[in-house]
Amino acid sequence: MNPLLPFIMAGDPSLEALPRLLAEAKALGLEAIELGLPHSDPIADGPVLQAAAHRAIARGATPVRILEVLAGITDSPDLILFTYLNPLLQIGAERLKTLLAPTPVKALLVVDLPFGEEPAFERDLRAAGYPMVPLLAPTTTLERARQVLAERPDPGPSAPFAQRFAYLVARLGVTGTGQSTDLAPVQKRMSELGILATRPLAVGFGLSDAASLAAVRAMGATPVIGSALVRELAGGRSLSACLAPLL
Amino acid sequence: MTDSFALPTRFGSQQLGGCYAPETLMQPLLDLEAAFRTAWTAPAFLAELKAELRHFVGRPTPLTPAPRLAAKVGLRALFLKREDLTHTGAHKINNALAQALLARRMGKTEIIAETGAGQHGVATAAACARLGLSCTVYMGVTDMARQAPNVARMRLFGAKVEPVAAGQGTLKEAVNEALRAWAGRCDRAHYILGSALGPHPFPTMVRTFQTVIGEEARAQVLEQSGGLPDTVIACAGGGSNGLGLLVPFLGDDLRRVAVEAGGHGRALGEHAARLEGGRVGVLHGCKTLLLQDEHGHTAETASISAGLDYPALGPELAALALDGKVVVRRASDDEALAGARLLCETEGILPALESSHALALLTALAADGAATVLLGLSGRGDKDLSTYQSRLGI
Repeated sequence: MNPLLPFIMAGDPSLEALPRLLAEAKALGLEAIELGLPHSDPIADGPVLQAAAHRAIARGATPVRILEVLAGITDSPDLILFTYLNPLLQIGAERLKTLLAPTPVKALLVVDLPFGEEPAFERDLRAAGYPMVPLLAPTTTLERARQVLAERPDPGPSAPFAQRFAYLVARLGVTGTGQSTDLAPVQKRMSELGILATRPLAVGFGLSDAASLAAVRAMGATPVIGSALVRELAGGRSLSACLAPLL
Repeated sequence: MTDSFALPTRFGSQQLGGCYAPETLMQPLLDLEAAFRTAWTAPAFLAELKAELRHFVGRPTPLTPAPRLAAKVGLRALFLKREDLTHTGAHKINNALAQALLARRMGKTEIIAETGAGQHGVATAAACARLGLSCTVYMGVTDMARQAPNVARMRLFGAKVEPVAAGQGTLKEAVNEALRAWAGRCDRAHYILGSALGPHPFPTMVRTFQTVIGEEARAQVLEQSGGLPDTVIACAGGGSNGLGLLVPFLGDDLRRVAVEAGGHGRALGEHAARLEGGRVGVLHGCKTLLLQDEHGHTAETASISAGLDYPALGPELAALALDGKVVVRRASDDEALAGARLLCETEGILPALESSHALALLTALAADGAATVLLGLSGRGDKDLSTYQSRLGI
């Protein structure tokens, strides 16, 4: 089981630091990492990731520039590009595939793209090796959850974690810490779906301390750590210093 | 619980609209559509809405002939649809009240809203006070400063006004924050979106609740003049007022015009004219004409009018424009101010800055051959007095 799925924002603290951060993550033995593509209007993000996105944009971290920096990088975990739809739509599927080809990106997590809204775009990218990560929220009914998982299927055990996992949002609201997250509903949802028998699962939103990470691992899922890490990195700490105690 | 939308989610040949929402909001949106569809055919809901629109809002609003202004701008006849005379002073109350009734029917106890000019916030706060719902309104700090009387009105109605300091502190940021707040409280709160935008079903629902404007106006103009005008015109921010007036005239052989904010220049960042300056993109849950930079980041906007100062045109209005069914024009800040002054001096009516953008086009319409015009006067200008005082030097 993958023990941790960290999130970092491309361009924060700087775009120049990105290759080093990815190499550090690889050296820590991380299999995959979520890389945020900063957007002007991150409607699903809390204050920490909003601020990180705006800092990154102000420093010139545009989507294309970020993908250009990633080109040729091999010393990196698999990347899951975490983004909003509009920047990708403006690049267009054809150009996007070309830009992604030389990067370690293995999947896309597009926050505001439910299945079925851009079927041709999604099909095209999946065929090129960039599937969309299925998201399940506390409001997602069991029936809809099964539909989401079927629409964004597991390519099978030979594929890497980044292309297989489903993301379970642990609580209502936006990304960020600040309130304790009750994991009982997560546990219930996992057993209802029987998902772990077939597919890896990541659990995120509101996790920051070692105890909640351990609780998620005890359920057999991979905890996601985002806002807490982004805040520490922005404050000047190294990725290894932040993550080593959590692994 | 329902698992797919029943109403069309897309508009026009370019399939604008849609439901580009975070997963957390998908089921609440599916449930909202189901509740809306049921309510819209439920005699009890429709009767209550009709009674509230009559006794609380003051509908039907008058259609006022404006002969002195008509003569001044070179028209044979001009009729003003007086949404400024509704309770709370703008068309926004038609939708806010209907959605508040729907929220109560759904068993929701809290209301979230965004506001730009403050008219939607005031309308929502008033509807919530009347129905006994708690209300939180998100408003950009720039807009709070320029529409201060409306902030005070919301607070008097018992609403909590949450300042949004991010970005330019205008409507776009207020919508961002309202969507985030709804994602956190969607189990008990309903989000009353005030414009014909956002994820499905909001554009369709808001337009449906606002077409009362055009339905009344069409019947009134037929009764008063014995025929239809050659032009119907309204201002357009997101499009709730524009669609509300224009949609009931879609089957008629006349010119339909929506007026966007031309701001103070033609460069990106100096206006909110989406038809000319925008490209199709996705913002706030829908695909539509959007002012954006080459990276797909939302562009800054500028307008003297807080209600029109928004980077996206509602998807249905954008589709009607792209498919040639509505003509979209722009009016600058200065032209809008001049239009407001003209209405004040000729007819004794103080228009909102938003509505003044439609007034600004009258001379040009007459020059283009229009003779009889029906204009949607979406709101009253009391909230804009300080801007009028400083910009017109009175």
